Amino acid sequence: MLKTEGLTFSYNSSHIFTFPDILLQQGEDLLILGDSGVGKTTLIQILSGLLSPHSGFVEMNGTRFQDLSSKSLDQFRGSNIGMVFQQSHFVRNLSILDNLLLSLYLSNKLQDKKRAIHLLQEIGLADKLNNMPDELSQGEQQRAAIATALIKTPDLILADEPTSSLDDNNCQKIITLLKEQASLTNAKLIIITHDQRLKDQFNTSIEL
Amino acid sequence: MNINRLSWINIIRNPFNTMLSLLLMAFGVGIISLLLLLNKSVEEKLQGNLNGIDMVIGAKGSPLQLILSSIYHIDNPTGNILLEEVNKIKSNPMVESTIPLSFGDSYKGFRIVGTTHAYPKLFQVNFQAGKLWDKSMQVVIGSDIVEACQLKMGSTFYSSHGLVEGGEIHNKHAFKVVGILDKSNTIIDQLILTNSESISAVHNHKKDSNHTHEGVVGSCSDDHSEMITAMLVKFRSPVGFISLPRQVNETTNLQAAVPAFEISRLISLLGLGVRSINMIAFFIIIVSGLSIFISLYNSLKRRRYELALMRVHGATKLQLVKLVFQEGMLISILGLFLGILFSRLILYLVSFFIDHNYSFYSIQLSLIKEEFWLFPIALFVGFIASLIPIIQAYYINIPKTLSNV
Repeated sequence: MLKTEGLTFSYNSSHIFTFPDILLQQGEDLLILGDSGVGKTTLIQILSGLLSPHSGFVEMNGTRFQDLSSKSLDQFRGSNIGMVFQQSHFVRNLSILDNLLLSLYLSNKLQDKKRAIHLLQEIGLADKLNNMPDELSQGEQQRAAIATALIKTPDLILADEPTSSLDDNNCQKIITLLKEQASLTNAKLIIITHDQRLKDQFNTSIEL
Repeated sequence: MNINRLSWINIIRNPFNTMLSLLLMAFGVGIISLLLLLNKSVEEKLQGNLNGIDMVIGAKGSPLQLILSSIYHIDNPTGNILLEEVNKIKSNPMVESTIPLSFGDSYKGFRIVGTTHAYPKLFQVNFQAGKLWDKSMQVVIGSDIVEACQLKMGSTFYSSHGLVEGGEIHNKHAFKVVGILDKSNTIIDQLILTNSESISAVHNHKKDSNHTHEGVVGSCSDDHSEMITAMLVKFRSPVGFISLPRQVNETTNLQAAVPAFEISRLISLLGLGVRSINMIAFFIIIVSGLSIFISLYNSLKRRRYELALMRVHGATKLQLVKLVFQEGMLISILGLFLGILFSRLILYLVSFFIDHNYSFYSIQLSLIKEEFWLFPIALFVGFIASLIPIIQAYYINIPKTLSNV
C-alpha cells in the first residue's frame, strides 16, 4: 500500500506546491496528469524519497520515508521502487545486460542472468543483450530503461514522462509494457505525464 | 557485476585518457626508480672497491685522476714514480701496509696490473681454478676476462702497449694463465694480475725498439732504477688521515690522495645532477596526478546522470565514492608498477650497450629500499587527484541532476 497525506513542497517562498493525497493498493495503477510547471517532477521525487516534502508524509508498506536514515532510504528505494524517466539513461560503459545486472547488484538482489535475459527477450530486445546503450534507437532505449527498473521486481513503478519523446506507435508499446509488467509482478504503477494520449488508458487518474 | 568491475570497465573503456595518465605516472616513477638504481649501483661499485685502501700515492696531477686510475682502473695514470722514493713513506710508523701497482699494458682492452699477492687478497676473492703466480710472466685473470677473451688455465697471450685495444704487441714475452678468480662484482673481475717484475720484463726490450713509452711503466727510465705507477696505502689508525697525506704532498715530489674524500666529492658532484633530474621526475608525477584529476573530473561531468541513476537504483553514497576512488587509485598503482618495470627494462637494455670496462651496471631486478618511497608518493598523488571528484560524487544532488535532462 502506498499512502501520502498533505504533501507540500517549495523551492522558494513565493510559490508552494500542494499535492493531492494518494492511496494506492497493491496491483493498482494511477495516472497523474499535469502541464509543465505544476510540480510533476517534484512529486515523483518526493514519492521516490529523493526529495523530502516540507509537510505531510509518504508511507509505503507501513514504512514512513521520514523515519528512515538517508542510507536506509537509498536501500529501501533500491529494492522497492523502480523508476523510469523521460530520457532513458544508462551506465554508458556497460552493455544493456550488464546494466540490468548492475541494477540488481545495487539493490542487493541476486544477479540472475537468466531472468535478465528472459526479461529482455520479453520486451523485444533479445538481439541487443550485449549492445552498448548508445547503439540502441530511442524506442529501444526506453524499453531497456524500463527493463532496468523492472528487473528488481519493485513494489512500486514510478514513471516520469515515459512516453513524451516517443511517437504514437512506441508510446502505445511502452504503456502496454508497463501495465503488463506491473500486473505480472503485482506492482503498483504510477505514471506522471502531460501526455494526453494516455488519458483513456487508465481507470484512475488525478489532475494536478 | 559489482563496483570493482565497474571501476575497471570505466578505465578500459576510456583508453586515451587512461593511457595519458598511466604513461605520465609511469614515466615519473620510471625515471626516479632508474636514477635510484643507477645511483645505488654506482655508489656500491665505488665504495666496494675502496675496502682497505686509505691513501693512494702516485705522480703529481689530479687527485681524482689518481684515484680513478689506480683504484677503479678507468682513467689514465698520472705518471710513474720511483720505487725507492715511495719506499721512504713505507717506513713511516703510521703506515700498516702498502701495495705497489704497475700498469700501462693491456690485453684486448683489459688492464694488466703488476702487483704483489696482497692486492688480490684485498678483495677477499676466491679462486675458480689455479693459484697465485709464483714467478714472472704468470698471470691470474678476473672472471669477466675468461669469457670475453676466451682464455683458460694454461693459455698464453701477448700483451699490447697502452690501456686500450690496438696498441703495439709486445710479442717477445708471452704471459701464461695460472689462476682464474671467482666473480666478486669488483674491479678485479676485469683485471689481469701478475708480479711487478713481469711488467718490467716486458718493457726491458725498449733498448732494441724505438717506440716511446710515455705514461707507461716498467723500468723504462735511463738510470734503471725501478718505477711503479701507484702505491696503495693502509694506515695503522685514523690518525694517519690527518698528517700523512699533507706530509707527502708538501715534502715530496709525490702526490697523496685519500679515496674516501675524493669519492665523496665525486658522488656529491654527481648527486647535483641526480637531484635536478629527480626534481623533473617528481614534476612529471605531479603532472600525471593532474591528468588523472582532469580525466576523472571530465568523465564525472559526463557521468553525473549516471551516478544519480545508480543512486536511484539503490547505490549508497559510499559506493559512488568507492567507484571514483578506485578509478583514480587503479591508474596510479598501475602507473607505479609500469614505471618500476620500465626502469628495469631500460637498465637491462643499457647494460647490453655499455663497454665491459665501465660496466657499473649489475642489473638489480628486486626493489631497493629507496624505491619504497615511490609507493606512498604515487598513492598520495592518486588520492589527491581523486579527492575533488570524490567529493562531487558524494554530494551529488540527485533531484537536481535528474531534472536537468
